[in-house]
Amino acid sequence: MREAPRKIASGPKKIFKAGEVILEVRDLVQVFGDRRVLDNISFQVRAGETFVIMGGSGCGKTTLLRCLIGAQKPTSGSIHLFGEDITRMDPFEMDRIRLRFGMNFQFGALFQSMTVGENIALPLRQHSDVDPSLIEMIVKMKLELVGLTGFENFMPSELSGGMRKRVGLARAMALDPEILFSDEPTSGLDPVMTAVVDQLTLDGTRKIGATAVVVSHDMTSVFRIATRILMLGNGPRQGQVVAEGTPEEIRKNPDPFLQQFVRGEADGPIPLRMAQDEYLKHLLGDG
Amino acid sequence: MASLVALSVGFILAMQASTELGKLGANAFIPDLVSLSLLRELGPLLIAIIVVGRSGSAVAAELGTMKVNEEIEALKVMAISPTRILVVPRYLALMIMLPILTVFGNCVGLAGGWAVCVGTLDMTSSFYITHAVQRPELWDLYSGLIKSVVFAHLIITIACYQGLGVTGGAEGVGRATTASVVYSILWIIIADAALTGLFFFVL
Repeated sequence: MREAPRKIASGPKKIFKAGEVILEVRDLVQVFGDRRVLDNISFQVRAGETFVIMGGSGCGKTTLLRCLIGAQKPTSGSIHLFGEDITRMDPFEMDRIRLRFGMNFQFGALFQSMTVGENIALPLRQHSDVDPSLIEMIVKMKLELVGLTGFENFMPSELSGGMRKRVGLARAMALDPEILFSDEPTSGLDPVMTAVVDQLTLDGTRKIGATAVVVSHDMTSVFRIATRILMLGNGPRQGQVVAEGTPEEIRKNPDPFLQQFVRGEADGPIPLRMAQDEYLKHLLGDG
Repeated sequence: MASLVALSVGFILAMQASTELGKLGANAFIPDLVSLSLLRELGPLLIAIIVVGRSGSAVAAELGTMKVNEEIEALKVMAISPTRILVVPRYLALMIMLPILTVFGNCVGLAGGWAVCVGTLDMTSSFYITHAVQRPELWDLYSGLIKSVVFAHLIITIACYQGLGVTGGAEGVGRATTASVVYSILWIIIADAALTGLFFFVL
């Protein structure tokens, strides 16, 4: 017996045309203890864009993404998703918004107890009245889209890392979301697979007029897919916006912090190790 | 596993009772003692403790692993309530199955007592069955079943709470699993004491 789908009141739904602001973040601050992980972040994402958030490890990329999908309440600031402030929403209202976007987790977050097919079918079964035979067909289509035709009956544990990421992508796109959020979709993949996943992200969004918000620190991938880039800083510029612009503007931006990151150099303003006198002081104490 | 434990408990009760009651020439009361102790107390308690070890820990570990793998987060992001899809079915399953398993355990325990009484104490089967079945009142059975429902509630609530509250990777899953077993057993025994007091002293 199939469980009846739970109805979530959809209410009036504004359709966003290409170029309209679909996501707007204003003065976002996230504090953990005495650490200011996100510091006054503001940016806009327009419908149809592939917006990439990049930055070094620990710069708050994932925290920002968690705030954007409503998995975490920011300390202050506002996030307008589809024109509504999600930071002031209760979980039930948030569910209405959640049906309009898809999230592709860094490691796929596939349900280990379900087959690949069941994983992709779950959002459809839960949120639509679609006939089971049609769901089966949609699952096949989504798997074909990510190049995994015939894998419906495999368990996630039988797949490689790259395959799991692709299944995660297929599941995120099961309900044809208006925005696809993607957390480091290419980290840990070989160059060919990276290119494949990048192409899939573009196929799943740009071709159908959807928006993509991708968190990444893979420069090749970032410049391949982005229409606009937001760079977050770490170290002394922890959680601040270092730069924002098109890939061309980012390449030309003279900011040494940004250039060090884009070129992947060990030496530069991004602090990894202490300065010599600071190190001596740290080792010997102030005396 | 549950039947083996229940059978052993039946053996133990009958054997222990025979050593003491035998001195008083009261072996005839052994079936009464076995059936009353099983129905009211040992059946629900021991079956619940086995279920804690077998199912409570499994639920905590499974939900904990799902939490660590971001599967719980993924459900929430898909606007699917983890409580509705993961907790409620497990809760209902245990609330129904633990009392059924308890009744089964009671029967096996009574069979264990029968084996000792008939095998070593020269009792006839009809004597054992008549006493073991006639002596307890329906309330003795019901009080045990009410206990098992309360235990089921405690086991599954603690297991789900611990599992969904996991932080810190695989190590956290191990910690939550241990905690779910320890707290479940602790609360089951405390609840048992409270319910026994309520059923047989207050009411």
